[in-house]
Amino acid sequence: MFTLLKLAFRNVFRAKKRTIITFSSVSVGLGLLIISICLMNGLDKQSISNIIHSQTSHLKLFKTGYFDKKDEIPLNKTIQNPEQYYAKIKEHPKVKEVESRILFGASLIKGMDELPCLGVACEPESDPKILNIKDSLVAGTWIDSKKSGMVIGADMADDIDLKVGDNVTIRIITSSKGEDLTWNALDMEIVGLFNSGNPAVDSNRIIVPLKFAQEAISIGNEVTEIVVCLTNDNEDTLEETKTWLGKIFKNTDEKIEVYSWKDLASTFLAISKTKTKSSAIIIMIMLFIASIGIINTMLMAVLERTREIGMLMALGMKKREIMNLFVFEGAFIGIFGSLLGCLLGGLVGWYLEVKGWSISAFGETYEKIAQAAYPIKDVFYGDLTFNVLLTTFIFGVVISVIASLYPARKATKLNPIEALRHI
Amino acid sequence: MSLIRLENISKIYKTGKVDFPALKEISFSIDKGEFLSIAGPSGSGKTTILNIIGCLDKPSDGTLFLNDTDISSKKSNELANIRRYNIGFIFQTFNLIPILTAFENVEFPLILKGNMKQKDRELLVEEILTEVGLKDFMYRKPSEMSGGQQQRVAIARALIKQPQMILADEPTANLDSKNGKEILQLMLQMNKRTNTTFIFSTHDRMVMDFALRIITLKDGHIHRDDKRR
Repeated sequence: MFTLLKLAFRNVFRAKKRTIITFSSVSVGLGLLIISICLMNGLDKQSISNIIHSQTSHLKLFKTGYFDKKDEIPLNKTIQNPEQYYAKIKEHPKVKEVESRILFGASLIKGMDELPCLGVACEPESDPKILNIKDSLVAGTWIDSKKSGMVIGADMADDIDLKVGDNVTIRIITSSKGEDLTWNALDMEIVGLFNSGNPAVDSNRIIVPLKFAQEAISIGNEVTEIVVCLTNDNEDTLEETKTWLGKIFKNTDEKIEVYSWKDLASTFLAISKTKTKSSAIIIMIMLFIASIGIINTMLMAVLERTREIGMLMALGMKKREIMNLFVFEGAFIGIFGSLLGCLLGGLVGWYLEVKGWSISAFGETYEKIAQAAYPIKDVFYGDLTFNVLLTTFIFGVVISVIASLYPARKATKLNPIEALRHI
Repeated sequence: MSLIRLENISKIYKTGKVDFPALKEISFSIDKGEFLSIAGPSGSGKTTILNIIGCLDKPSDGTLFLNDTDISSKKSNELANIRRYNIGFIFQTFNLIPILTAFENVEFPLILKGNMKQKDRELLVEEILTEVGLKDFMYRKPSEMSGGQQQRVAIARALIKQPQMILADEPTANLDSKNGKEILQLMLQMNKRTNTTFIFSTHDRMVMDFALRIITLKDGHIHRDDKRR
């Protein structure tokens, strides 16, 4: 066995130029595979992080029926006195923080400009422990429950040329039953601008204190949602806590349902799934091309070494041993090509993980398309793990071995006499 | 008991719809230790006989015995085993493995044969390469050696596993007359020392002169079978 391995190893480097080309096709294919996986994982990781930490948090509790109508931002399916549930929710060891919020449809009016937006009324003291909006302030201060004032997304401020200290009118939609829209208009000062990194949040969200919104909408102590932040982003924790909360609220008088960020970001997850499938097809095509290169190299080797194969048969080598010899050669091509590919992909992946990639580098149009698909802006980062490198390496070697099977089988089919006569 | 016995061996090559009979009911036997030449003009069936005796090809008809065992209908893996343990080959074009040194080329059949410690194997290889006059060329690759030297390596490779017979298809055809003579002398010397049977094909008069028995073929038949003292 060792002799066959030694022979196979030396055979790989017989036709150096051809071997280099084959190595290159394998390594470039695998390198691109690693970079693609790194980017896709990074996009998903960053998107999920942005969704959880700037948009939805981990879990939300709604009055039954609210979730199905959530796109209409209804104000008639509310939870009464939400604080009564806080203690119970916090009994779960994985629950870090709880707050109540009201989501409402609104428009921001400045002079002749009017910008539709989503209003979020939150508890100014609890919200920074749940979401990163306060941490992402780029100007001004955070909202105060005792003062009137709001923070808005920096992108939104740019759109209608607003800055900290400006007084604007907010038109709050208080009811939208049938075709009858009712609203309340109020003047309010912008106290801060935020840039959370999530374009969906930064371009159309205004944040006001909860008490202020409850007065403006006249819904007393009611809220549209209770937001639950967990101690970590782990999926098991999420599902386990969701199930636990579901059981708790099944037995309450008020009908309340529990939803995770996954339920709320189902569109993003569907896009991500489709993207993974289409990327897998592209990657398979790339690897197929690389494996064609290996098959070609090995077939050339069989053709060039026909007489030598005949001689090996004459020395008493069996078909299985001849087959093994060529499969080992394929495996060596796979090992070296995969190592090189992992090095190449690993270096680029590492750069993408540390330095990131500016979305604007692709141009404004692409930036807008990217922002429509992903809750990411400015720079996106790769996510490279050792597991990806290891799996890709093994995958590369396996593909190479499979690609060498046909040429190896062809070698064993040779007739020793004809092979010895081959010129 | 003969080493090899051929009984009514025929070989027909099919080329498209035309059958070409290369051997026609040939019978003869070869004893252990013979130094035998199969001679005849081109197309007379010399190489076909060597291929059948060497278990590289099967006869279309007839029976081939090795040590009185019928091996005509053995499967390819069984024939490979016979070649591995009992038969050594010397080719016209040397056919050494180009990426291996002379030492490694000679060692290769021993590795295939197995059951020998590396140290013993190395000693044996050194010994035989010294015997064929290549002590100073052991670690050269075939591309760094002359034709004569390469054929010496091939002889050493064939002999090292101590086979029952060595088959050589026109072993001197690619060598000049001086080197050709030296190779034949070496083969004869090895035949005498080891009592290994040597069977070689040739159409060269000078080569035939070395043989102790000459079987001459003509149109697939045995034309003459001459033994010398």
